[in-house]
Amino acid sequence: MLKFCRNKLISIKKEDNDILSVHGVLDDHIYGLTLNVKISISKLEILSVNGKWNRWTTPECPRAELFLKEAAGYKIDEEITQKIKKNIGNKSCRHFANLLIDCCFSAKEAALLIKWEQAKKENPDLSIEEFFQQSLQDNSPSSQTTKDDIKIKKIEAKVEVKTSDKIETNACFDKNEIKGFIVDLHVHTSPLSPCSFASVDEMIIQAKKIGLDGICLTEHNHLWDEDEINNLRQKHGFNVLCGNEITTDQGDMLVFGFNKDIKGIISLEELKKQVEKSNGFIIAAHPFRGFLTFNVNDLGLTPGKAANRTLFKYVDALEVLNGKVTEKENGFTLQVAKILKLPISGGSDAHEVFEIGKYATCFSEPVTNNDELVTALRNGKFSPVIFK
Amino acid sequence: MTNILCFSRNRCTSVEQMDENNIKSVCRLQDTLTEAFVEIIVKLPDLEIISANCEFTRSVYKNYFNAQKSLQKLLGIRIGAGVLKIIKGLVGEDINCPELIYMTEEVCHAVILSFTKDTLDKAPLTDSKEFYQKMVKDNTRLYNRCAAFAPGSSLVEGLDPP
Repeated sequence: MLKFCRNKLISIKKEDNDILSVHGVLDDHIYGLTLNVKISISKLEILSVNGKWNRWTTPECPRAELFLKEAAGYKIDEEITQKIKKNIGNKSCRHFANLLIDCCFSAKEAALLIKWEQAKKENPDLSIEEFFQQSLQDNSPSSQTTKDDIKIKKIEAKVEVKTSDKIETNACFDKNEIKGFIVDLHVHTSPLSPCSFASVDEMIIQAKKIGLDGICLTEHNHLWDEDEINNLRQKHGFNVLCGNEITTDQGDMLVFGFNKDIKGIISLEELKKQVEKSNGFIIAAHPFRGFLTFNVNDLGLTPGKAANRTLFKYVDALEVLNGKVTEKENGFTLQVAKILKLPISGGSDAHEVFEIGKYATCFSEPVTNNDELVTALRNGKFSPVIFK
Repeated sequence: MTNILCFSRNRCTSVEQMDENNIKSVCRLQDTLTEAFVEIIVKLPDLEIISANCEFTRSVYKNYFNAQKSLQKLLGIRIGAGVLKIIKGLVGEDINCPELIYMTEEVCHAVILSFTKDTLDKAPLTDSKEFYQKMVKDNTRLYNRCAAFAPGSSLVEGLDPP
């Protein structure tokens, strides 16, 4: 029996010599919606967008229609998917965004088809395959996704652990009971982390304001330059540290004391080898971050089963307080950490100014530079803390 | 002015519960230039991809016909937060096939939506406001994630930003 089905239909006609009229329909078990999009052929640019719900879920979903027009002016280039997801998906609705992306991809193909027909008038031997292949090379995704020289290797090892199925959700890491040097160990800033909405200066100013002792910048697959960090320390008179949030085949990892700028996806096994060589430290970031409307335990996952995941063989600690996940998910991670007897940390995972300092990590001694940070992590002298 | 279409696309993505432990998700595409399918089987409760297949039976891009090998890199990956970035990184690394990446995202997304449907099925038919208010209260990640849960919406009234 089908558990879920989504149908999308996209029809495109030429409105005039430079405008495509795109009509998209999305209809699935949950949502029904339509889009009408005008796109310039010569500029490959969205001229206008109008959308309408047919079926939706919450009583406030109709608000989404108002924000669709903000996509006008977007160029259909290599950034379009990210741009639509970030702006239309967040401000309007991610299902409208999904259909809009498909409409844009279709329009790009339609525009190419029209251009090929025009080119063929001058060169009757030009095959459609030749023409499209050339356009694909011009827009190679490999030039959009920076390759890493490290090859993905399949991880086969298994960790044997004892089983515990109880989920703990009321762990207490009260800052009033944990004294020490408090650092928000997981912070993203814009533009280095494309998903962040706050500049590094805004984040630091807020961190100082709320009384943190320091912050650690952990951009997605981007390594801060040590000189830049020093400049920020001096400019703000505040402890600024840095690590890196690296995406692996087993999820996101917070990595400290490792100076290689990894781009693309690396296998966790390979990352571990390299980080060990540089005496660095790996924390599994939000290892059980679930979904928007359901949790991992709704799928029948228990801490005992989860602790068997291969990834835990390759990490030094688990982030059990992450500001972007639910209390249940943090509690679940804590249970797994207890089974595995791994050290635990906390961080806000802030992407906006108001998010900073929700959770943090408390060190027993001050950590004022990256070397001290790695030493403190390797010595295990830290614990997660609920900061605000 | 003629109203004849210059391009038409149909995309159907469906999710089937194969047995207690396995779910199959298939995306089928048929448009003016392409005919293809991508199919994955995921194992519960980890949502781990244990099988991945695809075939492009019609395309103007020659390299699309070799997509099957690239898809094998997904074996062992879990569908969860951040999976789209992993797909893009793994599948996009050695084959220039944006459509394959998109269809793979669609099959993974559909698996998630199939569970979302189970949750939303619990909402009352009328007066569902309270249900959704509780949902965003229980999972602050929903706050400001779309227009329905943005400041100004009645569903987040009285809620502090997370």
